[in-house]
This record gives sequence, C-alpha cells and structure tokens, in this order.
Amino acid sequence: MEEGWLYDGVTAVRRPVTVSAEDGRLRVELADGSDVAPPLQKLTHVESRGEWEVYGRSDVQGWRLGIPAELARELGKLLPGRQRYGRWIDRVGLVPAIVVGVALSALAIFFGSHFPVWAAPYVPASWEKRFGDALVGDFGGKFCKGKEGQAAINKLAAELSPRGPSLNIRVVDIPVVNAAALPGGNVVVFDKLLQEADGPDELAGILGHEIAHIEERHVTQSMIREFGFDLIVAGLGGTAGANADALLAARYSRGSESQADSDAVKMLARANISPGGTAGFFDRISRQEISMGPVGTGLSYLSTHPVSEDRRRLFRSKVVPGHDYRPALSEEEWQALRGICTRTGR
Amino acid sequence: MNDMNAAHGAEDVQPETAIEFTGTWREYLPIALTNLLLTVVTLGIYRFWAKARERRYLWSRTRFIDEHLEWTGTGKEMFVGFLIVFLILLPVFYLANTFIQGLVLRGETREAGLLFFVLYGLVFYLIGVARFRALRYRLSRTWWHGIRGGSADGGWAFGWNYVWKSLAGSMVLGLLIPWAMTSLWNDRWNRMSFGQHQFEAAADTEGLFARWLLVYLVPVVGFFILIAAAGSVGSMITEGAQPGPGFLVAMVLGVIGFYAAFLLVSLSYYAAYYREVALATSIAGIRFEFDARTRDWLKLILGNIALIIITLGVGALFLGYRNWAFAVRHMEAGGEIHLDTLTQSTTRAPGDAEGLADAFDIGAF
Repeated sequence: MEEGWLYDGVTAVRRPVTVSAEDGRLRVELADGSDVAPPLQKLTHVESRGEWEVYGRSDVQGWRLGIPAELARELGKLLPGRQRYGRWIDRVGLVPAIVVGVALSALAIFFGSHFPVWAAPYVPASWEKRFGDALVGDFGGKFCKGKEGQAAINKLAAELSPRGPSLNIRVVDIPVVNAAALPGGNVVVFDKLLQEADGPDELAGILGHEIAHIEERHVTQSMIREFGFDLIVAGLGGTAGANADALLAARYSRGSESQADSDAVKMLARANISPGGTAGFFDRISRQEISMGPVGTGLSYLSTHPVSEDRRRLFRSKVVPGHDYRPALSEEEWQALRGICTRTGR
Repeated sequence: MNDMNAAHGAEDVQPETAIEFTGTWREYLPIALTNLLLTVVTLGIYRFWAKARERRYLWSRTRFIDEHLEWTGTGKEMFVGFLIVFLILLPVFYLANTFIQGLVLRGETREAGLLFFVLYGLVFYLIGVARFRALRYRLSRTWWHGIRGGSADGGWAFGWNYVWKSLAGSMVLGLLIPWAMTSLWNDRWNRMSFGQHQFEAAADTEGLFARWLLVYLVPVVGFFILIAAAGSVGSMITEGAQPGPGFLVAMVLGVIGFYAAFLLVSLSYYAAYYREVALATSIAGIRFEFDARTRDWLKLILGNIALIIITLGVGALFLGYRNWAFAVRHMEAGGEIHLDTLTQSTTRAPGDAEGLADAFDIGAF
C-alpha cells in the first residue's frame, strides 16, 4: 500500500491513489475505493521523474500514473520496462546499437561514394541524351553558327577520338574562358577560350580532356552524384536545397581529372598533335592568375579545372623533341573556328 | 509536493516560485554524451531521437507551480515529419534551381529572375508557416497535469502575415521592425491554446523603439568614425608620415569596440523585446513575466562561447540545456489557476512535428 497520484487526461485535477499488487495483478485505487488500474498491455513507461516513476496508457492520452520509484521496483514485472534511448535502440541495447551503427555507416559512406562510378555504365544512353539535351537546350540561341568553324571543330574531335563524330560539340557565344562536358555527349566550348587560345594545338588538349570526361563516363557519374547521393546527404544535414550545384560547375575528383588528362595526352599522340600547346595554355593562364588573382582574371576554366604543376608537367613531358608534329588544324580552319560566332558561313 | 490546494481546485501562483528548473548538468551529461555518440554512428539520423530525449529531460526538470512539465514528442514522429517535408520540398527546389541555372546559361535572365523571385517568395512564406507550426507542435507535445496545449489553426494565414509584415517592417529603413516583430508574436500566440483555454497576447512596441533606434545609431556613428580615421590617415600620409604601430592598435581596438557596441545594443533590444512580449502574454488569468536584462543575455552568450572554446566544441552539447535553463530561470508567472475547470485540449495533435521548421533550420521562438 503506497501513495501515488493519477491524472485522468480529462481534467487537470490530481487524484491521490493507492497502488498495490493483488494476486499478481496491479491495483490502483481511488479515494472512494474504486479500482482504476488499466489492462497491463495498455500501460507504458513514460519517464523517471525524481522519486517518481511515471506511467501512461497507450489508449488514453494524458492519463498519467505516478508511482514512487521504490514501489515501482518492488512491483517489478507488473510494470512495463523503461524507455531510454528510443525504442529501436532499446530493443538491441546501447553498445550493440553503436557497433551496428558504425558498421552500417561505414558501408553507407563507402557505397554512397562509389555508387555513381558503379551505376554510370548502366545509365541508358538514350536517357542520358534526353537529359543532356534538355539541360543544354539551344543555349538561348547562343550557339555559334559559322559552318566552316563547326566543320573544323568536328574534324578535330573526330581526329582526337573515334567517338568524336557522335559527340555534339558546340561553341557558345558567352565571354568566359572555359569548356565543359555535359550529359548526352554534349561538349560546350565558350568563345572566349578560342580567343584566348594561341593556336589550335592549345584547343586540342582542352577538347581532348572534355571528350575523355565523356568517354570515361565521368559526366554520367557526376550526374548521378548530383541527383542521387547528394539528396540523401543534404537530407541528413537538414538543409534542403543547399546542394543544387549545376553540372556545369561540377568539379570532378582529382583522380578523374588526371585520368582525363592522360587520356587527352594519348588522343594527342594518336592524332600526332603536340601536347606542348596545351602546356603553354596552362602556363599562360596560371601566370595570369598569379598576377591578377583568381577573381581578377575572370578565368572560370581555373575554377573547374585547377591547373597544378603536375598537370603542366604531364603535358610538357610528353612532347617528343625533334618529332614532326602536325598542326591540329590548318591556319584557314583555325581562323574559321575563331570566327565561328561572327560568321554565319556560306 | 504542495498539491494541497489542488484538491480544492484553485491554486495560488506565487511569483518567485511559480516556474523552476531543477535539472543538473551531471544528470544531463550522460544523455548528452550518448546522444552525440548515437548521432555520429547513425550518420545523423539519430538527431531526431536525441532532440526528443533532450527535451524530455528538460521538460521533466521544469516545475510549473506544483507539477513538472512533460514532453511527449518522439524522435520517430520528428523523423517522419522531416522526411515528408524533405521529400516534397527538396525535389521541387532542386529541379527549380537546375531549371533557373539552365535559363541563366541560355541567357534568359528575365525569366530566370522571375522564377527565382517566385521561388524565394515561396520560401519566405513557408518560413512563416514553419514558425507557426513549430510553436504549435511544441505546445501540442507539452503536458502539464495530464493536459496539453495546441492550436486549431494550420498557420497558413500566419504565413501571409509573416510575409507582408516582415516586408512592411523593413520599409522606411527597417524602422517598423519592432512593430512587425511584436505584431507577429501576437498573431501567433493568439491562436495557441492550453487545455480549453486560449492564449492572449497584446504586445506593443512601447519602450522598444528607443532601443531599436540605438541599433541603428551604432553603425552610423561607427561609419563616421571610420571616415574621420581614414581622413586623418590620408592627411598623415600626404604629410609624409607613416602611421605608427600605435595607430594600428587603435584601428583594431576600434573595430572590436564597434562589434562589441553593436552586440550590446542588439542584445538590449532583444532583452526589451522578450520582456515586453512575455508581459503581454497571458492565458486564463495567468500572467507571465520574463526578467532577463541585457547583462543576463550577455552573460548567457559569453558563457556559451567560452564553454565551446574551452571544451574545444564538445560544450556545444550543452547549449540547448543552458538556453532552456536560462529561459526558465528568468520566467515568472502569476495569477490563479482553477485546476478542476482546466480540461483537455480538443485541438488535433499535429503529426508533422517540426519538419518544415527543421528544413529551414529555424526554432519556435
């Protein structure tokens, strides 16, 4: 026989009760002698509050029974177990939950970071093409239409890669120095890059690099990354909408970048074009960055393709001294390409 | 337990003792540490359960008159509420963002700007709705004497109030912001209830404007001091003198002083704001009071910063605890409660938890 208290969940009045065990049954008696003990399976442990253990009823909201902690211990099995960390943790126990948690987290991180690489080969080309075309559109009419220039860049792509002819390589009349590979075999080269480049050899290495991103399916991986894992990760952080980087601004991993570089070097060798031009381009834009600062140069190429000493050295070291390279494009083709945005062609 | 009067149905609320926080950091430490551990090993998923545990502890150690509060919100419902909002909002914003970037890329900046404007107008509106619903959720999961609070309102209308009053408040150089803040406080609290009783809030801006003007004055004065300093440096250089190290020190001290002054006047405004809104809020004859002064707020904030620095960040676990203890310690209530006439709330218990507020990372106050 011990004093407890009861709220019925209907009014705020606190009623004194006596709590006892009788024939292995819980008895909760009001002052008038009536027994208000709920069926045991409806009884839930709510919390430990100082000297009280507080119980509730799963079928009556606000119904609360306070039992002195000491009595609750005596009643033992007549009362439901305590809640501590949340039901799913309590079920397995804290330490096993932590062990399982660590293992699952490691798996999730590993799977999450490798998933785009595994999944990329299985993305249907037609699906990627549709997505890429939707993303690129007609660039708000900014595609340059010079026919001879287009023919020149197509020819260069075809020489660099056997897949070249199936790619959609377009020059865009937007004044940034950059080039990007987009889903669906789309490559955009911004006009200012052509104006900054000192000859077609410099363009060849950059174009080869972007084509390599497509052939190695880095673009597809990046597309999956943008749409897939980032969604989940951003979700756990609770900041919706913070991770919506455009694919165009996507930076590839260092591994992907150096793979694209070494592919580009192979393409240049196959086409018998000197990699020295590309090295020269890297030298020039990194000098500009040193003298004018990353903001002053306005070179968006550097923001998506950081030029490291390793990259420069790779292209420079592949130049075979005394070898008879041929120019990537004839002077006439190069001039047509540089004028692709001003001339509409015949 | 002084529940003798409760049997008679009336309870005198004595100021100084009406609301009390009885938690201790030793008791809370195991909760904080296991929360951190479980949150880390579940890649953050446990944070909803951690929040529920933290609140269950804080509420249960908060006594109002003769009885402690109880938090019944669960981690599961917060997780589900978050998932629902997340699954609806994220794809919408992700697609819209991609679309906007596509438009910009193609040079259709006018359309992109318009879409951007619409999208962020929507976010603004939803933040208002979220603030309302976060408060409603907290009241609906807060129990006292077996009775809970809530609101019959979904907050959709409040969302619009939030948009237009915030915009109107920032007109005239933001001079009407105190009006917008108090008015929105009233809009929210007048829709909230506990048991069958409605909250009443009638906060006004009396006593707030002077402090708000100070918040304005400091940057202006700082700006003039900066110009004067720049002028004197200019004249020194034209006279061929190099500014000495003493001058540099003065510059650094000046900048620090400016930030300190700005922090102080901002705090003094917020202190006055919370004192005013608490005084103007009541329910069923119970009046509230919040007596934290500027220096109390300053002590709280400096204490929080010091705690984090000294513990190399681990102390962040205790921020929720400290802030709650601060709020409860400075809260007072007075009036008379009739327990036998305080009956259960008939409002629907919302199932969305704080999903929306969580998505925008905002609190209920």
